[in-house]
Amino acid sequence: MADQTVTQSEEVTAKQIRRMKRFDNPWRNPKLIWGAGILLGIVAIGILGRIFWDPDLVFTGSGMTRQAPVGFENLRGQAGTWAHPLGTDGAGRDVLALLIIGAPNSLFVGVLASLIGMSIGIFLGFSAGFIRGRTDDVIRVLSDVMITIPPLLILVVFQAAYGDINLTMMAILIAAFVWQSPTRLIRAQVLSMRESGYVQMARLSGASTMHIMFREMLPNLVPYLFGSFIANVTTSIVTAVGLEVLGLGPQRIPTLGRTIYEAINSGALIQNLWWWWGIPTILLALMFIGLLLINLGLDEVSNPRLRKL
Amino acid sequence: MTKTTKLLLSSAAVALAVTGMAPAQEVAREDTVIFDLDRTIRDPENFNWFTPGTKRMHGAHQTMWEPLFILNYNTGEVDPWLATGFEANADSTEFTVTLRDGVTWSDGEAFNADDVVFTVDMALTNEEISSREAATIRAQVASVEKVDDLTVRFTLNAANPRFIVENFGVRIFGSFLIMPEHIWADENPATFAFYPPIGTGPYTLTSVATNRAIWDRNDDWWGAETGFMDLPEPQRVVFLESGGEESRAQLIATNQMDAAQNVSVGTFEAIQAQNSDVIAWFPDYPYAAADPCARQLEINTTIAPWDSANMRRAVAHIIDRNQIVNVAIDGATTPSRTMFTEYGSMSPFIDAVIEAGYELPARADAEAGQALIEAEGWVRNGDYYEKDGETLSVAIHVNSASTEYTRTIDVIVEQLQRAGIDARAVPVENGVFWGEVLPFGTYEMSYSWLACGSVNEPWASMGRYTVADVVPVGERSPGFNNTSRWNDENAVAYSEIVASMADMALGDPAIPGMVAEAYGHLDAGMPFIPLVQSAKLLPFNTTYWEGWPTSENYYNHPFFWWNSGHQIIHNLTRAE
Repeated sequence: MADQTVTQSEEVTAKQIRRMKRFDNPWRNPKLIWGAGILLGIVAIGILGRIFWDPDLVFTGSGMTRQAPVGFENLRGQAGTWAHPLGTDGAGRDVLALLIIGAPNSLFVGVLASLIGMSIGIFLGFSAGFIRGRTDDVIRVLSDVMITIPPLLILVVFQAAYGDINLTMMAILIAAFVWQSPTRLIRAQVLSMRESGYVQMARLSGASTMHIMFREMLPNLVPYLFGSFIANVTTSIVTAVGLEVLGLGPQRIPTLGRTIYEAINSGALIQNLWWWWGIPTILLALMFIGLLLINLGLDEVSNPRLRKL
Repeated sequence: MTKTTKLLLSSAAVALAVTGMAPAQEVAREDTVIFDLDRTIRDPENFNWFTPGTKRMHGAHQTMWEPLFILNYNTGEVDPWLATGFEANADSTEFTVTLRDGVTWSDGEAFNADDVVFTVDMALTNEEISSREAATIRAQVASVEKVDDLTVRFTLNAANPRFIVENFGVRIFGSFLIMPEHIWADENPATFAFYPPIGTGPYTLTSVATNRAIWDRNDDWWGAETGFMDLPEPQRVVFLESGGEESRAQLIATNQMDAAQNVSVGTFEAIQAQNSDVIAWFPDYPYAAADPCARQLEINTTIAPWDSANMRRAVAHIIDRNQIVNVAIDGATTPSRTMFTEYGSMSPFIDAVIEAGYELPARADAEAGQALIEAEGWVRNGDYYEKDGETLSVAIHVNSASTEYTRTIDVIVEQLQRAGIDARAVPVENGVFWGEVLPFGTYEMSYSWLACGSVNEPWASMGRYTVADVVPVGERSPGFNNTSRWNDENAVAYSEIVASMADMALGDPAIPGMVAEAYGHLDAGMPFIPLVQSAKLLPFNTTYWEGWPTSENYYNHPFFWWNSGHQIIHNLTRAE
């Protein structure tokens, strides 16, 4: 009898401890871990692939055209070989090498565009929310106007006129269209936050505007900013892939979107060259699932009510 | 009740009024033939073919406007169409063309010598009309006169034994089309839209939009009434923009299209696996028909460093034609040995060039190319050559309308990159490419077939690179001739020989020797680099229509977007 009581109380304690631990470290969130794991996996493919596979195989004419992956046959009945484990495309590019170079490239455009967009958004959002007045009016009107312009439309026209561009240039172009919503959201957060006690305190103790904005308030917005950043990465990748699938991305730098564009343009569907368009599509889907999981995880981190305890 | 009826009737009347032209009646699929159009019709309600744009190949010059003659690629003869024949004087400076009796425009007016004289005069007196055919007429014809209602006499600036086939014979793509005087008489030919258009052909325009043109049979066609030819069987001809290889393959495999533009060998095999009624020129690999326009890399000789002949020759050494054939065209064609198309009728001239030692190799000799570059003072630094702190680079403009074009340039870009030249492809839209990039010389290199022209004699191609046609960058090259703006001492020597060939009779035994001599200068100057022969793999669907041109049924070549498309439509019979 006495023993039982002891065990019960021990069990309760263990449960409580687990529960307390979860409260202690919200970052150990399974969704967050899975999402980060997927994205790190894609980055790892990019890094390890460059070491263990020949990245020069991404260029036109590296192998025979339209080879099937290992274990499959193409329409002409040729079996796939280990020389090109995931097959080749219609121009003889190695699909594995395309993934190794292309997937990190797509991620890179998304992250860079989002970083630039967020930086602009943070700066403008804080300025508008904290300084208020005329600054607020100008920034608010500007971001409201920009938010109504469909980015893909402008980018298509710009790229068609400009011709070939590199990944960084593409990221900068996309960044010009992803700063508006962070600006608005951050401005709203800052507006409510500037009335809170610690901000008033900092102001009374004579801290400068920059100090209050970026040293006092910004750390409290980190999980929120992170969530917004990830959402922006997703938007940027979607925009970049959209441009690439239209054939408007960089010409010689392999990206997943461009691979899909060329597959569509060369009759890959009717020729049943599924590895050419299918594998990049799966990778893109994985990338978006990873980003979504991170986003959901971050939501739970910043909002304890979402955590299932 | 009456109110409702009235309302219904009036709304029907409004609907009719809104739809405008003759309400398109239903035509059964079995009576309709659907051709593929590989470009957007930019300005659908403009049929002024003298100005640039899609004004002809969407059915206008295959169904509505008829040529005077059609060159038969099989027999080499010039088959009469709106004309019945021609005579030349002894030195080929005067040509007398006889027109067919009984030809009428679709509005009932007679087609006669007045229309011919009027249209040629229009081309002679209007500098601003820019189509290639009009520019050629302007360059060659001194005057034109009506002898009688059915006879026209042309007096030329210089002797030209090829005058008829070159201008009126549909030798390549089009011919100089005759326009109705009674409609064009008081119009400005540079701005007139000619809408709705009329012609002498067996079809009239029913409707046109940016992505399709519909033509319906005119059962009162003069040809059937005079006994020239039976009415063609299709009641309706549609030209439909398919938009890319995948969709054109799906359309033809599912019987929603009867004739498709070029596809790759792999795609064609996939179509046949789904639909065994789809055929091509040859029943077996490589399926494709030889196109007279061999592919080439055009070089703007006014832009450094490509203004140096040695740099251009270096690029020629670096290019591997075999790889282009295998990677870009699935092995369905052959590397070019000279600038000429490899037709049997061209072999005396091709042989002469090869004997003189100017044959282009199928394989690259990158080291020879690099030696030429280094001799010009460039030093390899890492991936690329450099000189005075500048990287050796080149942008190659390519028409994005076909994967054949873009993929060939992708292959060349890789070859140049590996050899140390920072090459990149600049894909541009079809209309921009032909309308703005090529004629005005706003490119460094580009992918095209501007030496196209010769099919049974050498002059038509060679005559396109003479110094007479050089204009500054930014001005329009006359008739797309010498867009390379090749103008050095080699070009001058070359032009002299070519000019002396111009008035020699076809078949003169001295010509092959002169070709070889001129070719020496061309090879030294290298204003363009011949790449590969062109092969067109055009899927034809026999589900609804039979009688397509094939190697076994060779009434003429299969290029249905040419002015000779009339012959194909007349040869079609309903499949039972």
